[in-house]
Amino acid sequence: MSVTSKAVKVVIALIIAIIFFTPLYFTFSVSLSSKARINEGALVPDFYTGSWVEITGGFGYWRTGIVNSLIVSTAAMGISILVALPAAYVFTRYRFLGDKHLFFWFLTNRMAPPVVFSIPYLMIWRGLNIWDTHYGLVLAYMVFEIPVTIWIIASFLTSIPKEIEEAAYIDGYSTAMLFRKIILPLLRPAIGVAMFFAWVFAWSEMFFASVLTSSVAKTVPAQLLTALGKVGWGVEYGPAAAAGFVSVIPGLALLYWIRRYLLKGFALGRL
Amino acid sequence: MKFGKLWLLLPAVILTAFVGIFPIFALLNYVVQTPFEIENRFVGLENLAKLFKDYRFTDAVLRTIVFAALSLLIQIPLGLGLAYLFRGAGKLNAIMSSVIILPTLFPPVTIGMMWLLLTRTNGPFGITFNFLLNSIFGEPYDLYKNAIHAFATIILMDMWHWTGLTFLVSLAALTSMDETYILSARSEGATRWQIFRYAEFPQLLYPLLFITLLRLIDSLKIFDEVFILTGGGPGLSTEFVTQYIRTIGIEQWIFGFSSAMSLVYLYIVLILSWLLIVGFTRGRGILE
Repeated sequence: MSVTSKAVKVVIALIIAIIFFTPLYFTFSVSLSSKARINEGALVPDFYTGSWVEITGGFGYWRTGIVNSLIVSTAAMGISILVALPAAYVFTRYRFLGDKHLFFWFLTNRMAPPVVFSIPYLMIWRGLNIWDTHYGLVLAYMVFEIPVTIWIIASFLTSIPKEIEEAAYIDGYSTAMLFRKIILPLLRPAIGVAMFFAWVFAWSEMFFASVLTSSVAKTVPAQLLTALGKVGWGVEYGPAAAAGFVSVIPGLALLYWIRRYLLKGFALGRL
Repeated sequence: MKFGKLWLLLPAVILTAFVGIFPIFALLNYVVQTPFEIENRFVGLENLAKLFKDYRFTDAVLRTIVFAALSLLIQIPLGLGLAYLFRGAGKLNAIMSSVIILPTLFPPVTIGMMWLLLTRTNGPFGITFNFLLNSIFGEPYDLYKNAIHAFATIILMDMWHWTGLTFLVSLAALTSMDETYILSARSEGATRWQIFRYAEFPQLLYPLLFITLLRLIDSLKIFDEVFILTGGGPGLSTEFVTQYIRTIGIEQWIFGFSSAMSLVYLYIVLILSWLLIVGFTRGRGILE
């Protein structure tokens, strides 16, 4: 590569880096600024810690939200993996009447806009007394998480040869042993990817959270909606920015975790 | 043996049926009634008929489709272009990959909040947009009064949010490409465009279908960021379908009409996605 094209590339890289980093930096800066400073639109914070104190302690409003988000995301992740793993196994190992249709039906749930489900959920969940509970929210998330988890695990499973399992059966393995000793160890990366997507989906989801909870099980995204004044009281930019920054931490952690794959110029394999 | 393990499907099928099919029947039930109105009557298909006369709904559907088309047309070539620019090993490429992927990992609500802060008159993007618009068109940037500015800001925000995903998939596809076609095309003296069109593009087709489908589905359900940033305004210029259904259904509890809208929009989304899959894979489906 010539020197000029290298220079052009570095300049493009710099511009992109500025555009992509400004929002993250600015949010962090706002979370560390006092109200007057925020209204000036200053780019450098005055290191006012009030917003962070309110997030982590304060009246406990935001802290409850963070705890709720952690509970709901973890539970939704666990259940969707437990349910989707055997289903993905069946889809890749057996041909049965209507298998493709069933698989497509699972995926259509992922395609549906959340608003389509939210109106009936609102009524059914109230009837079942699971409105504004962690159970209710986790159950609602299953409609999007199970299809995606099945899809991710199934696409990895197709690359594991069937012969390994046949050999295991000849050696007298039961289904449970086959799963524990052979399928699970081979599927570890797939399960990792699926777990991450399932966890982050519930962590970032706002629509169901804002419709199906009000106070007890409210998660951070729904609280952000309230704090930004679209539903409820006035705009509190400081704590909202701090909570927003908390909400991007899992993303930053993932990026740190996959950095060596990026360095290798990374092959994600088939998606 | 052949049917021995089909029971393993049961938990997934039962759970998904409960959260996926049961609510659709509830919607069908609401569509033919007028729940929570003075008198709950059986109205047949009246709600569905009203739908096509409601300019706010038809406009919102068209607006959402225009938005989805524009964001796909921008983000897929842009992601592919960036993947060509920053592919391969190396420190700069690795850093740029993580920078571009970063926003896709953020919650949509947070993106909306970030842009709300950034596009205020004294925020960094607000100042930049104002300067650019002033020097080119001689008009000030106003997100809350100018419909075109609002719509353009949402396109930009979506681009900022999701180009990372098209970039990531394009990068993975470029990395796993079979080089022999490209090398032989080059030794035959093909131009760069010919190499791209006839040796590389056919190999990128399937990953591009995957990402187009994913982006189409997600653009058609856009809500969080827009609701935080503009709330659908000014006027109705950024009101997308999800927001309109939410206003009618969740906020005003007009269940019959909003259920009708939900069902019709669900089928619009499914048909668009299905057309895309069938068009790209020529009817083979996505399981293989």
